[in-house]
Amino acid sequence: MTGPLSGTRGVVLTQAWAGAYCTSLLGMLGADVIQVEVRKRPDSWRGDYAAPLPSAIQGIPTAQNPWNCNPLYNAVNLGKRSITLDLADTRGIDLFRRLLADADFCAENFSPRVLENFGLGYTSMRAINPKIILASLSAYGHDGPWANVPGIGGTIEPSSGLSGLLGYEGGPPLHSGQMYPDAVAGLNACGAIITALRHRDRTGVGQYIDLSMQESSLAWAADAYLEYATTGRQRPRMGNRHHTFAPHGIYPADAEDRWIALACETEEQWRALCRVAAQGWAEDARFATNADRKTNEDALDAAIRAWSATQDRDTLADRLIEAGVVAAPVHNAMEMADDPHLRSRGIVRDIDHPETGHWPQMVLPMQFSRTVTDPPRHAPLQGQHSHEVLTSLLGLSTGEVDDLVRANVTGGGPPR
Amino acid sequence: MADAPARALGDVRVIDVSLSTAGAWTSRLLADAGADVILVEPPDGHPIRKLAPFTGDGQSIPALNFLANKRAVTLDLDDDQQHGLALRLIRGADIVVSSHSPVPLAALGLTFEDLDTPRLIMAHVTPHGMTGALAEAPGNELTDAARSGWASINGDADREPLKPAGFASSYCTGAAAYAAIVASLRWRDHHPEEGQEIDIAEVDVMAAAFAPGFLGSHYRGVALGRRDASDGLGGPAQVADGHFALTLSRAHFWRDAMNVLGLEDLAEDERYGTSWYRTLHKDEYTARVLEAMRGWKKMELFEELAIRRVVAGPVLTMDELRRVEHLEQRGYWRRPADAPDGPEYPGHAYRMTETPATLDRHAPLPGEHTADVIAGIEGDAR
Repeated sequence: MTGPLSGTRGVVLTQAWAGAYCTSLLGMLGADVIQVEVRKRPDSWRGDYAAPLPSAIQGIPTAQNPWNCNPLYNAVNLGKRSITLDLADTRGIDLFRRLLADADFCAENFSPRVLENFGLGYTSMRAINPKIILASLSAYGHDGPWANVPGIGGTIEPSSGLSGLLGYEGGPPLHSGQMYPDAVAGLNACGAIITALRHRDRTGVGQYIDLSMQESSLAWAADAYLEYATTGRQRPRMGNRHHTFAPHGIYPADAEDRWIALACETEEQWRALCRVAAQGWAEDARFATNADRKTNEDALDAAIRAWSATQDRDTLADRLIEAGVVAAPVHNAMEMADDPHLRSRGIVRDIDHPETGHWPQMVLPMQFSRTVTDPPRHAPLQGQHSHEVLTSLLGLSTGEVDDLVRANVTGGGPPR
Repeated sequence: MADAPARALGDVRVIDVSLSTAGAWTSRLLADAGADVILVEPPDGHPIRKLAPFTGDGQSIPALNFLANKRAVTLDLDDDQQHGLALRLIRGADIVVSSHSPVPLAALGLTFEDLDTPRLIMAHVTPHGMTGALAEAPGNELTDAARSGWASINGDADREPLKPAGFASSYCTGAAAYAAIVASLRWRDHHPEEGQEIDIAEVDVMAAAFAPGFLGSHYRGVALGRRDASDGLGGPAQVADGHFALTLSRAHFWRDAMNVLGLEDLAEDERYGTSWYRTLHKDEYTARVLEAMRGWKKMELFEELAIRRVVAGPVLTMDELRRVEHLEQRGYWRRPADAPDGPEYPGHAYRMTETPATLDRHAPLPGEHTADVIAGIEGDAR
């Protein structure tokens, strides 16, 4: 494996999105991330063992097991190995402890009580491996009155203040289209673990990281909190508008659900927009300065909407970008796969998966000139690497692993 | 007296020549981890200082946030002498953060090659990255949302797409850049003199954060879209004193929530025990659930559901968050150590037992530390 974290190993109990994304990023950065899963309680993002296959996957001959074909799981588990262990079985917990003894870090995003119930709290882990780094990602953190209140991205978004900020002007609060706080938590925990690794390397001291999704999301609204703290104002929902600049919006193009984002942050950009639009805006006193445009933003947006609705989205986006205006087409997920810029950056890559086949996926959003990373391995099948890990790292024989499979301590798919 | 906690990056100096919120958040995270961050700002001030809203005494609130914990030096990079000072600063540092696209960076004479310092880690934090057809195209939060898929799923299906609120992409990009920088520092610890360039694009980070929606759309053959505004339970619902998010994804969430809301017949109806049935038959119960929710205050409903371990969330304002006892007990709120009467900030995104993040410095005034920093450079030269 290559990448700046090559030579580093994580044995992790992450699941769903926040934790899984954190450890996937670490894996794509070169760490050997061994995801440990319990078959009796599989990762919720693998879905139910009996769930139907997604519609575009049906008919693919290799797609046999729904739990290996869930797009949620497969999206946020690139770059890892997967093993299964029954942590309620003494043999399973013993194997986990043995893996942990040689690991650099562990991460988990169970509810706070779960790890302790397995006898795997941070104190226990340190007894096994004094230098271990453990990151816990939970809804509200591991202490305080709400420590045991359950939560997911969709409920942390409102309870962290983010939903109160998202929405149309004068409209109700909204959630993001998918659970944004999970991505925030995953990105933050990734940085925290790397920071702890560097500290461990330099001092020999591991540490515990307590990430509350509520706190990490609220930290991402710090400017809105500071507005309240310094002025007493609750920031209103602003749609796509900006506190400072106008225009700043998403406007219709000439076909159904085709939209273009455009903004002017300088007078030069405004003049460029006026030239491209050729609607006489440059001579309109209401729009003479940015301050005038903010004052008359309703009229400005109406004028832009009337004009943009006659334009082809992609042609207009190209013309605006060429002219130096801040602009982009609003792409949906299908269109993103063919975005030449995203393709050329390598952020969208085609990944081969043993069951689902060949699909475009989003990969590591970090590029390094020296510690270049490999294209990531596909999200693992459940328990795909159990035999490999248990034999090569723990020295079990094939026969011993087969015995563990027969005893449902490891293996793949629904436990028998 | 107990020893002060270790600073994770207490040995690291960062020069921030970026002019964007994403670049500023990158260096803010490095500063919170203990790095000495020196912000190099142009003679007319860092652009963030001009961003609204403003405090009563005219300070930019975004600047209070993004520039805190740093020292600020004013240098005109178009002036040969001051450019030379900037070069000396950078060459003596561990990390430089830039938001300049390739052409302006070359014009400034600040490319990695120009800097000619192999141990240096140079992080480029830009809207579209340092490569590709859009490398020179201007971009911001709005275009990040548009090109990364997020706008296509935020908002109502019958209205325009919405960008995420505030500086979402700057925060996420800063976090990704922070992780990449510390990974590179750790690499350099083990491989002395092996600095490198890091290329972080805002649009890449937001596209990567969109991964579940992206792959889900492809596996289903249909792009994920915006919500149906007529689905009353598809987002936060009205309660007596605001809005509330109810999650009914599991059987016991449904049963317990219906009992709390006084809708026992729905709780006991076995047909609603399965997720697929509830999804298909939403119109049979949504109006009754919404009506029952309107009789509750959000914190009372939250507490009742939390006892039963039903996943739910009240939509909280900043004022309400400040009064949440849980955050108070966790010691979340903080003020800069050098400005105990200054504005109160939210805490860090996570807690580390050995190397906690700290907020040591107030957001600097424009060029506040210029004299000290330049004296330091000249002192080094002597």
